Amino acid sequence: MNSQAITQPNAQMLLDIKDLRIWYRTTRGNAQAVDGVDLVINRNEIFGLAGESGCGKTTLARGVLGMTKLPGYVESGEAIYYHPVSDSSVVGRDLLTLPAREMRQMRWRHIAYVPQGAMNVLSPVLRIEKQILDAIYEHSDLSKEEARARMFECMEMVGLDRTVARMYPHELSGGMKQRVTIAAAISLKPGLIIADEPTTALDVNVQQVILQELKDIAASLGVTLIYVTHDMAVHAEMADRLGIMYSGLIVEVASVVEAFKEPLHPYSQGLIASIPMIGGDRSRMVGIPGNAPSPLAWPSGCRFHPRCPKVMEICRDKVPPMLEVAPGRFVACHLYPTPMSGAAPASEELN
Amino acid sequence: MRKLLRKYPVLGYYFNKVFTYFVTIFGALTITFFMFRLIPSNPIQNWVMSLERQYSVTIEGGDAMINRYKEQFGLTGTLWDQYVGYLRQLILKGDLGPSFIAFPTPVQDLMIAAIPWTIALLSVSIIISWSLGLLIGSTAAWFRDKSVSDIITNVSIGLSQVPSYLIALFLVLFLGYQWKLLPTRGAFDAQYQIGWNLDFIRSVIAHSFLPALAIVMVSLSGWILSTRSLVISNIGEDYLIYAEAKGLKPRKIMIGYALRNAMLPQATGLALTMGSMVSGQLLIESMFVYPGLGQVMSRAIAIFDYNTMMGIIILSVVSVMTASLIVDLLLPAIDPRIRTAIKA
Repeated sequence: MNSQAITQPNAQMLLDIKDLRIWYRTTRGNAQAVDGVDLVINRNEIFGLAGESGCGKTTLARGVLGMTKLPGYVESGEAIYYHPVSDSSVVGRDLLTLPAREMRQMRWRHIAYVPQGAMNVLSPVLRIEKQILDAIYEHSDLSKEEARARMFECMEMVGLDRTVARMYPHELSGGMKQRVTIAAAISLKPGLIIADEPTTALDVNVQQVILQELKDIAASLGVTLIYVTHDMAVHAEMADRLGIMYSGLIVEVASVVEAFKEPLHPYSQGLIASIPMIGGDRSRMVGIPGNAPSPLAWPSGCRFHPRCPKVMEICRDKVPPMLEVAPGRFVACHLYPTPMSGAAPASEELN
Repeated sequence: MRKLLRKYPVLGYYFNKVFTYFVTIFGALTITFFMFRLIPSNPIQNWVMSLERQYSVTIEGGDAMINRYKEQFGLTGTLWDQYVGYLRQLILKGDLGPSFIAFPTPVQDLMIAAIPWTIALLSVSIIISWSLGLLIGSTAAWFRDKSVSDIITNVSIGLSQVPSYLIALFLVLFLGYQWKLLPTRGAFDAQYQIGWNLDFIRSVIAHSFLPALAIVMVSLSGWILSTRSLVISNIGEDYLIYAEAKGLKPRKIMIGYALRNAMLPQATGLALTMGSMVSGQLLIESMFVYPGLGQVMSRAIAIFDYNTMMGIIILSVVSVMTASLIVDLLLPAIDPRIRTAIKA
């Protein structure tokens, strides 16, 4: 067995990702999509994972589910998931080295997934009930009646009518399909749900309702949620803590309030400055200059230095380490070489 | 009527399909009739001439004889008269006219004697090769990164290019003559009495084994390759990634999700192949001297027997059309999306 007890550093920790690297083999070398991610997810929190397209968010999410597909592969790193086996003991298992069979049993039972683009994730030729029930049967010993009762219970939580169970995916709207995926994800009361841009394809008012439902469900079931999206407005709404990803790395982790009020990393500052403010001064939208770098050849030193407005000499050569600059605030930037004392360096004023 | 249609919109769909069915059959029948009459060859003339040559005599009153036969074969009058006469005979009496290869046995009697052999041989071998093809093809798709898949794929591509008669020849040569494992000619041993007795049935199975094997080997590679590409094109689909994220067993994902979605076109393909089977496997039936429709057809072609050729072609048109009609009528049951499209 691979699940030898790994002592848990603290009781709050649910998932501990250490120096994770997931690369893709290509003819032009390795695309280092996820390249050195360190991240701790705590129990019962909603963790927002932000970053622009192509920064490795989805690769990271799939990697944690053990679903890295060729030509992608895990180059190195650990992702230790702590789950209780009894009232008193907790077992930590490295998701990346679990045998395929055990990893398969972990999925949905412990780590569920709400996918990107719910439009196509349901098989068009199977009824909704079949697609929810097959996961329940696979991972539990529930009888047919119990499983159906569980399914209806979950559907009710996301506001779906019972009749939906007998329908086919093409008979549902985008919002309803997304609700189906949420109902399916909570059907086994997993410890962790990874939601990968679930509402991106929906229109704003439906998105709003579903986000609220998801948030309420996470709170009432005591589920930890990793919410992946590039949409900062959604993060502001949903997340407890926010991780900002850039070029395969997490560059900043902070509580959502702090991250919005006072972003530390110049990239985070740019990301947050680019959100239009309602009722603010009329001004030109501020973007981040330049393009995202290629994962085939990350820039030397700090990967953000070619686009950074505050670039210094050291940034070109030396990789900034991730430091805890204040309790619970992590940033990887040479501007913050030591724990901060008092005021942060100049950053944009935010309402 | 209109009220009924509003209540069951699917009825309109069915009516539409059945109507198209009859129109298409009629059209195909007309086209084949005129095509054959346009070919500048005359079986009766040929026959009389070959008789004359064979016995090096001149048949007295040959012209009168030709005319009498022409009348029997419906070859007198204008082309239009012939057409109307043929249709009247066919529709009113179900009569396809006398055959030439076994004169004066009517074509329909010849066909009825041959059909059971062809259907028994082909339906079994088609179903075997379809199921095997689906199984092997989806396995090849599923393990597309493994060398097993490469081997299956390349062997199939190779086999799909080998002509059926070559495969049949090799089977006859090795299994039939070299090792004398199986009989290679006919459909049963003449020493047994035809009927439902064990010896006869055993003999029929032994005789059909080689032709069936040849047909399976010829058609299997096609089913493997098409299933493989259908399943592979499904593999990137979000619903498979989602099924995997649900932690379902790989076999369940492959059969319940990947193959289930690739099945729709393959089910249609099976039905159409079943429909086209009554025209028989010309080469294979001739090779094994199997008394099916294919063999009747090849004999008919050899001496340009209009009526028999027409009869077999009409039968195969009707059966292909019937098979595709059945698919069309069944599709709403297999594919839920069509049901909704009809309702809308």
